[in-house]
Amino acid sequence: MSVLSKLKETLACLKAGRVTLPYPAQAQPVPEKFRGRPIFDAAKCTGCGGCANNCPAREILLYDVCQEVRILKYLGRRCTYCGRCADVCPEKAITMSHEFENATDSIRDIQQHLDLFMSTCQRCGRCFKEPSPLEQLKLKGYRMDDLGNERWIYRSKAYLDEEPAVDDVKIELD
Amino acid sequence: MIARERLNQLVKKFGDGIRRADLPADNRLFVYVEPSGVKPVCEYLFRNLDARYVTSIGTDDRPFSGKFMVAHNFAFDRDGILCGVLAHLPADNTKVDSISDVVPAANWAEREIRDLVGIEPVGHPYLKRLVLSDGWPDGVHPLRKDVAWDFVPEGYDGERGFKFDDPPAGCTVVPFGPFHPTLDEPAHFRLYVEGEMVRGCEYRGFMAHRGIEKLAESVLTYNDIPMLAERICGICGCVHNVCYAQAVESAVALPPPPRAEYIRTIMLEIERLHSHLLWFGLACHIVGFDTLFMQSFRIREPVMWIAEKISGNRKTYALCLIGGVRWEITPELKAALRAVLDKLEAEWRRVIAAVSKDRNIQKRTRGIGVADKKLVKEVGLIGPVARAAGVDIDCRRDHPYAAYDRVDFDVITENGCDVWSRLLVRAKEVFESIKIIRQCLEKMEPGPLQTEIRDELPVGRLGLAAVEAPRGESHHFIVTGQNNRPRRWRVRAPTYQNLQGVPAMIKDQQLADMTISLGSIDPCFSCTDRLETMDLKSGATKVWTQEELLKLVRARAT
Amino acid sequence: MKTIWPILGGLVNVAMVLLVAPFCEGVLRKVTARIQSRQGPPLRQPYFDLLKLLGKEDIESGEAPRMQRFAVYLSLATVLTVACLVPMGFAAPLNGAGDVVLLIYLLTLSGICTLLAGLAAGSTYSLLGISREMMTMIALEPLLAVAIVIGAVHTQSFRLDTVLNGSVYGAGFPLSGLVMLGVMLLSFQAFVQRVPFDIAAAETELMDGPLVEYSGPKLALFKYAQMVRLVIYSGLFVALFVPWGSGLVFPLGWLLFWAKVFCLVLLVTVVAATHARYRIDQAIRYFAALLVVSLVALILASYGR
Repeated sequence: MSVLSKLKETLACLKAGRVTLPYPAQAQPVPEKFRGRPIFDAAKCTGCGGCANNCPAREILLYDVCQEVRILKYLGRRCTYCGRCADVCPEKAITMSHEFENATDSIRDIQQHLDLFMSTCQRCGRCFKEPSPLEQLKLKGYRMDDLGNERWIYRSKAYLDEEPAVDDVKIELD
Repeated sequence: MIARERLNQLVKKFGDGIRRADLPADNRLFVYVEPSGVKPVCEYLFRNLDARYVTSIGTDDRPFSGKFMVAHNFAFDRDGILCGVLAHLPADNTKVDSISDVVPAANWAEREIRDLVGIEPVGHPYLKRLVLSDGWPDGVHPLRKDVAWDFVPEGYDGERGFKFDDPPAGCTVVPFGPFHPTLDEPAHFRLYVEGEMVRGCEYRGFMAHRGIEKLAESVLTYNDIPMLAERICGICGCVHNVCYAQAVESAVALPPPPRAEYIRTIMLEIERLHSHLLWFGLACHIVGFDTLFMQSFRIREPVMWIAEKISGNRKTYALCLIGGVRWEITPELKAALRAVLDKLEAEWRRVIAAVSKDRNIQKRTRGIGVADKKLVKEVGLIGPVARAAGVDIDCRRDHPYAAYDRVDFDVITENGCDVWSRLLVRAKEVFESIKIIRQCLEKMEPGPLQTEIRDELPVGRLGLAAVEAPRGESHHFIVTGQNNRPRRWRVRAPTYQNLQGVPAMIKDQQLADMTISLGSIDPCFSCTDRLETMDLKSGATKVWTQEELLKLVRARAT
Repeated sequence: MKTIWPILGGLVNVAMVLLVAPFCEGVLRKVTARIQSRQGPPLRQPYFDLLKLLGKEDIESGEAPRMQRFAVYLSLATVLTVACLVPMGFAAPLNGAGDVVLLIYLLTLSGICTLLAGLAAGSTYSLLGISREMMTMIALEPLLAVAIVIGAVHTQSFRLDTVLNGSVYGAGFPLSGLVMLGVMLLSFQAFVQRVPFDIAAAETELMDGPLVEYSGPKLALFKYAQMVRLVIYSGLFVALFVPWGSGLVFPLGWLLFWAKVFCLVLLVTVVAATHARYRIDQAIRYFAALLVVSLVALILASYGR
């Protein structure tokens, strides 16, 4: 009988009580494994570029100012909080924090800029041992991402070579 | 080996027409034919051998073999075989016979091939633009290898509109979408309405293209793509994530370790739980029963919390890599998951017991949106839509993947063919999912989560994978390539096929039932529109006329 | 005093109705939310919603803007006029101005305003909405008319103050009165346009039906008219079927009236929260059945039962 089923439905609903949480009046705790905003620790970072090579959104840029100084910039615009950078980092310098209230009207609050001093015996980015051949970035030479336009350079010129070293889709470069 | 038997049947019928055949595994068959032989072979498979049509794929293979490639994929559900019929087309003659007149289910896929790769299906009964936006210039085909992924074509014609068909006599046109409260995503159904009865409709979709397949071929690498695949859909993301990983693993014979397979199964079933509960609430909302909508979402919320505890996010689990998974299920998480399942089962039983006797809901859903067995076969409908019509197909049992061959579960079918049957199918599948997760938690053995990969993946291998999404079969096709990325990746989401059945389902029904009929296939338009052309974002929030809207939209875009 | 009382009383009635209608809507939303296990908006929310809408830009996007404006004003005006005809705890201020026929006409006119609104807007969805609304009105208005006529038959008069005073029961509790009570209870949801009978304005199917081209202040007035409709229909129901205690001295009788209206609003809420929306053909069949029953009641009444 329809009325009886309606009554049963109503009783089931009322039994559950009120489930609305008092957020944002009260902070909402997140589980331990929650993947929030990644935080880069410049003290631990060796500048290997593993995070930059394996970010699916291409939001981590590398730029070599000279042989000793490498800039690592986390742009944070399209970051999907997947946590690959943290997985791949050999020094565990990246932590996926619990911060999810990241809305801001200035992107600089989220961007992280690391100036890294590279010691003199670096070997062109190959100090990073990828976990598997699938994490390899086929690149010879230094990364020269376009920090000004905030763009990954897909076709990168090796530092000392004349010819470009990455065979990728042809795009116009500055 | 059943695949070999099927091959023998084909060879017996076509002899030399079968140029080459690959049987990389017991359940995979790739048959190469001449372009002229595509149609007879597909017809034989579909009609005589009663295979189910899955999808058609076009590839620009010119940088590697100098030719284009067309593939039509079929499935033998009873034997558990996925089969592809492939043909190479010369670069100067990209025409192939259309199979849509003998396999009606291929209608959209062939139009998509024409739009995106430029392979012309000769003899297609309804050759209109499907995927590319109206103003896109002719002759520019985005998925060709000479077109860059961020290419902006010249000659985009802003004034060119879509030429809709004329409505049949006596009908007015009621536009449904692209902005409509019922739809979460844009889609345009142009309904031909006579009084309150719908006499037919025309669909214009693909408004939310994002360039996913192109990105995967040009910019991303193998382990980046699962994160992208996950974002094809906001509800069945894990399915695409797993299916892609499985396609690559099947192409290069790199199986994940057993514990990873169990974890994949658990996460897939958690996703099925949340998706079915969400759909149930949505269906009730569509018929105006908001209370059950709220209750379904309340019951569903603990599923989201446990997913967040296991994977770090409520929905984008970011689960798979090639050859394994990223997240471990600790004993504490196991206990938490078991508690969630127990509570969910108890509450859901109460809801279903109340709803199954509720005549009010049944009045709105019985006899509505009918899709019988014949329509299921012709249009290739899948998932709960097919199972509600009594067609017993389910990829988890027919083409076992992950850990499904090691767990027991029933495939729920009903015979009503209408929205009410689909409701019952999905409601009962919730209990089956709970059963599967419990068995996985029990049977899981400790072990590694990731297969070790020592060498780069071989190039030029074909991989097929099918995963049962909450909406039906999700099918991925991969051709492995150089530079750590695939050469071609094709995603066929279940809604792609199910949407093609909607015009028949809403015909000769009342207008009021149109939304629930559409809702009953559980449409996921984001899954359907995977490719990108131009992205015209709009901020309009009320109903405008089409011209006004177009003007406004273009003014903001420039 | 004689001339001032109707004016003052009318103003009091109108003010009460305008003040209480959004509160009733707020109660409806809050109780619905509790049934749905959630917190729900504060009781003051409809006031804020109306204020917000009144402050918005008035975009006139329909086919006939002047008719749209007219339909809006007429809609609120008719329901407020009816408020002056319904006794709300004391004698209705405009008692002498008309009889029950005027009441029935005014109620029908308020329904026609919705039709005018949809027609003036001219968009596909609004036209579909008004076709449903028309079908509903044809089947529904006669029910209320029959109830009032039964009252008139029992009291042998068309005067507002006699009919709107439990006249359906006449002397004792005739069968016709009880049958009409049942019929009105079963169709009340449709008069106040709530689930399961809010078919003309189904959000998920028709994007609000006749009101689809209205925004800002016009939408505010329409929504206000809908809220007021809930109150005056409840008031009419109370006056016709649950009049006991209306003779009590002010302010007791007045408070009792509003308490009864409040109970009716709660009933509407619970039914609305626990049902799915019906389709127009199912609803018409339902009303047709009720109409047959009410005509039987009318025949009984004319025989004095």
